[in-house]
Parts: sequence; structure tokens; C-alpha cells
Amino acid sequence: MSAPVGEAPVQRDGSGKPRTGRRVRQVRELGILLALVLLVAVTTLYNPGFLMAQNVRDLLLGATLLTILAVGQSMVLITRNVDLSVGSVLGLSAFAVGVLFVSFPGLPVPLAALAGVLVGTACGLVNGLLVAATRVPALVVTLGTLYIFRGIDHWWASGRQINAADMPPAFLGIGRATVLGLPVPALLALAVVLAAGWCLSSYRSGRELYAVGSDPHAARLAGIPVDRRVFIPFVVNGSLAGLAGVLYAARFGTVDATVGTGLELEVVAAAVVGGVAIFGGSGTVYGAALGALLLTTIGAALPVLRVDAFWQQAIVGLLILVAIGLDRLLALRTARRLRGGGSRGA
Amino acid sequence: MSKPVLELSGISKRFGAVQALSEVDLQVAPGEVVALLGDNGAGKSTLVKVIAGVNPADSGTIKWENHPVTISKPGDAQRLGIATIYQDLALCDNLDIVANLFLGSERTVLGTLDELEMERRAQTLLDSLSVKMPSLRVPVASLSGGQRQIIAIARSLLGDPKVVMLDEPTAALGVAQTAQVLDLIERLRDQGLGVVLISHNMADVRAVADRAAVLRLGRNAGDFPVQETSYEEIVAAITGAADNPVARRSGRVSVSGTEEE
Repeated sequence: MSAPVGEAPVQRDGSGKPRTGRRVRQVRELGILLALVLLVAVTTLYNPGFLMAQNVRDLLLGATLLTILAVGQSMVLITRNVDLSVGSVLGLSAFAVGVLFVSFPGLPVPLAALAGVLVGTACGLVNGLLVAATRVPALVVTLGTLYIFRGIDHWWASGRQINAADMPPAFLGIGRATVLGLPVPALLALAVVLAAGWCLSSYRSGRELYAVGSDPHAARLAGIPVDRRVFIPFVVNGSLAGLAGVLYAARFGTVDATVGTGLELEVVAAAVVGGVAIFGGSGTVYGAALGALLLTTIGAALPVLRVDAFWQQAIVGLLILVAIGLDRLLALRTARRLRGGGSRGA
Repeated sequence: MSKPVLELSGISKRFGAVQALSEVDLQVAPGEVVALLGDNGAGKSTLVKVIAGVNPADSGTIKWENHPVTISKPGDAQRLGIATIYQDLALCDNLDIVANLFLGSERTVLGTLDELEMERRAQTLLDSLSVKMPSLRVPVASLSGGQRQIIAIARSLLGDPKVVMLDEPTAALGVAQTAQVLDLIERLRDQGLGVVLISHNMADVRAVADRAAVLRLGRNAGDFPVQETSYEEIVAAITGAADNPVARRSGRVSVSGTEEE
């Protein structure tokens, strides 16, 4: 209960370099990784086939969309906003790509992919403008655009379905191609994770996203263009949702107006499990990506373990609660250790 | 007393029908702690905002190092070398100490954040203030109120100010934490900075302030050397104890009495 009296200070004084804050964050991501490893180990013990190359490939491919979406969502969450429209944006982009191939059968694949991404960018622009300019809470704005984008999708599709036969083999090949045994979409997702992670940790604008999410008022006083820093993540997130839509179309080959329905909560769940705080200002995209991988792996492991699919959602829910509880516990422990060690010095 | 670095004279400020400040004078010398005292609504915060450029004065002159200057926006005050630490601290809880110190003025190399340089400079800065933090890489949310106040003050020093204004720096702090902040204020004075300290706490004022400038109803109500002035005299100036119906009446009676004779 009480803080140990003689506990060694985390850091003697200035010259040392142990970084409690960094360590806490790393512990956080290490925890998810550990859970992932544990889950894979148990499942493999139960059924050695789980770790077969083909199965791992399927798993990575399955995690691709969720990972890309979780990265974008994390950037929005870090600024203390949320984007609930990602599922609809993904659906709209996937359908747009399909329609393009139907209307222009000879269309080059990169051009169609770019168009899909741009559809997402446009949706992100709408979200970002509404949130940043009108200062309406993002939850409300994106709840609205969730239905609006989905409505546009339904109106456009009007019951139509676009099948793999309508799309060029080169495009569908993206979903199946591998490099060094790894699926191309998964590599793409990895590139997105690394690029976003690098931007957030190494650039002023990345740092400023955390500042805005931590305390918008303080960020404004420090001279940070808060509205712009709120706006940009929505655009990036929209573009990433567009990219995910393109990958969806390439992988599944069948798109209709219901693609991506209900995906938004799964995305938020992945980010939160990965340590991205819903109240902004903390978490990393690496954590969110691990969270997405963990959720996908749970989905794949439970049938192997012969757990009723019915339990899957309950387990995901439990995981979210555990993740949040863990964050709180770590924060409290750090605070107690610091106050105990620092009160006489400073 | 050495030459004042900041000299205000005849400052007036009106908000609509409310005359918040009328003809207020204030001087701050290097290496001096001036306590700005007054009851609620006396105009302390308004005066600070005038100096900080948040609410520019309607009339009056401001002299900086003996040259007349105009301060019409916060940037003007910062450029002159006036740093203001507001009551609400303006720290980002989730960012670590280094990130908070450099927020808005991060050091970069080739466009990317130069964490090492920032950490080194932060350490030098805190060392120069004899401030010890358990680690520079913890989120400020986990610091105590006193430590947070110290970080907020340290942050304002990165711009090498000559005058630091503190708005109620000890308002929400415990005894030990208050002592830490007062120590820091003394160190700022020892480094030759002029400090303007707004406080309601007379004990703090007596502990660190050299002078007490009292405002009452938007006017100067006295300027006291703290060491040679009693607690009661200062409180009387703040509350206007000399300016109450009884005193006024007795004054009037005695005046009219002299007329009769």
C-alpha cells in the first residue's frame, strides 16, 4: 500500500539517463506484444498447424486493413478527437474503385488505387473542416458523416454488387502477391505504421499533435496552430481509410454498399487496446498496430481453440478494460514513485 | 535602488463602463521582487495583462530600460523580455518535462526534433535554478503542484527574459511546495531578474518581496518597502482601512470643526 520508504530514486540526478517516461511507454507496448506471443504460443500448443506459413500469411493479411485504419485513428485520437466515419469511408472508397473498373475497363491499376485513396482524402477533408472550423465535437460530426458517407454509398450502388470478374487480374493480384513470403498489403501496412510512427516522434508537428490532445488551451498559448493540428490528422486518416478501401477491393474482389459496416468501433478498440488514450495526448501508432494485430489474432485463435465465437466479443471487451486499467495503474505507480523520490530535491 | 528596467506611469484602462485602472504607476528594478497586492477586483490582473500585452493600456507610458515602448500584443512583451506565468500554468500533462519546456520552440536538426540537445539544455536550465527533478522524461501529469509550477517558471526563462511576472504562483500549493517556489523566486532575483509577484498570501510576500505595490480600486494605494513595513500597514492599504465611513466622517467633522473656530 504505502510507498516503500527506501526505494531507490529512479534517477539520481541530472547526468543519468534512465527515462522513466520512455520506459513506461515501452512497457505498455511490450505488454501487448507479450499478450500476443502468449496467445500464439497457447494456440500453437493446442494446434501446431496454427503457425504454419499459410496461416500466418492469412493472419497478417487479415490484420492489414485494421492496422492501417488503427494508425490513422490513433493520430486523430491523439489530438483528443475521434473519427467514427472510417468504416463508411472505407466502403465508399472500395466501391468507387470497383465502379471505376466497371466504367473504364482499361484503367491502369495505380490510377484506380490513387482515385480510391483520394475519395478517402475528400471524406477526411470534410470531417476535418467540420471539426476544426465549427468546433463541433468530433464524435458528433463523424457520427453524422458515418451515416452520410454510407448513404452516398447506398445511393450510388443502389443494390448493385461489383464482382471480381469486373476487376483486372493485375489489381486483384495485389491482394495475393507476396515479397519474401510476406503479403504485399501487410508490407504496405508496415510501411504506413513506420512512416506514421516516425512522423509523430521526430517532427515538431507530430509532437504538437500530442500537445493539442493533452491540453488544447496550453497548446494555443504555446503558439501551436491548434485548428490546423486537429485538421491534418482527419485528412491523413481519411486517406488511410481510402487506402484500406482499395486494399479491401483488391483482396476480396466483391464490393457492395455494405462494405466496412461497423468497422469503426473495432478500429477504436484496436487503438485503445494498443495504449492510445481516448482522451488524447498519449499512445503511439506502434501500440495501435500491435493492438490491431492482437485483435485479429484473437479472432483467428478462438476458433482453433474451439472457443465459441460468441465469446470473442466478450474477450475483446475484457481486453479493452484490462488495457485501460493497466494504463491507470502504470500512471499511478509512476506518480507515486516520483512524488516519493522528488519531494525533497525540487 | 538600481535603475528600473520596467517603468509604468499613468496607466489607465477602461472596460466599457468599468474603469479598471486609473493613473497607475509601477516600477521594477533588476534583482528586485515587487509584490503586487490588492483586493479582488483591485486591478492586479488587469495591470499584469497590460504589461504582458494581452489587454493594452488606453493611456499612460511604459518605459523599458529608460526608453518609451508600446506593448500592444503578447509578442511585443516577449520580445522586450517580459515573461508571464499565468495561474492556469499552461502545461501539457501528457508531455514530459523536456517537451513542455520547449513546447512551441522545439530545437530541430534537419527538420527532426533534437531530443538530446533539448534534454541537455533543459538540464542546464534546471541546474542553474538548483532545481532537481527525478527524471526529465516523465509526463508532467505525474509531478506535484510545486514541481509543475517550477517547470512553468523554468519554461518562461528559456527566452532569457529580464522581467518575470507570476500570477498567484503559490495559490494551490502546500507548505513545502510553496517553499520550493519561493526559493526559486529568490534565485531569479539573485540572477538579476525583476520579478512581479501577484499574491494574496501575505506570508509569501513578506518572505520574498522587496517592495509591495498596493492597488485599490484601480489606483495606487501605496508602495512599501516590505522589510520596514508592518503587516497591518499593508493590509490597511489593501482594504482601504483608512478609507472607511468612520474615518471619512471623523475627517469631515474635524475639518468642519476647524472651520467653525
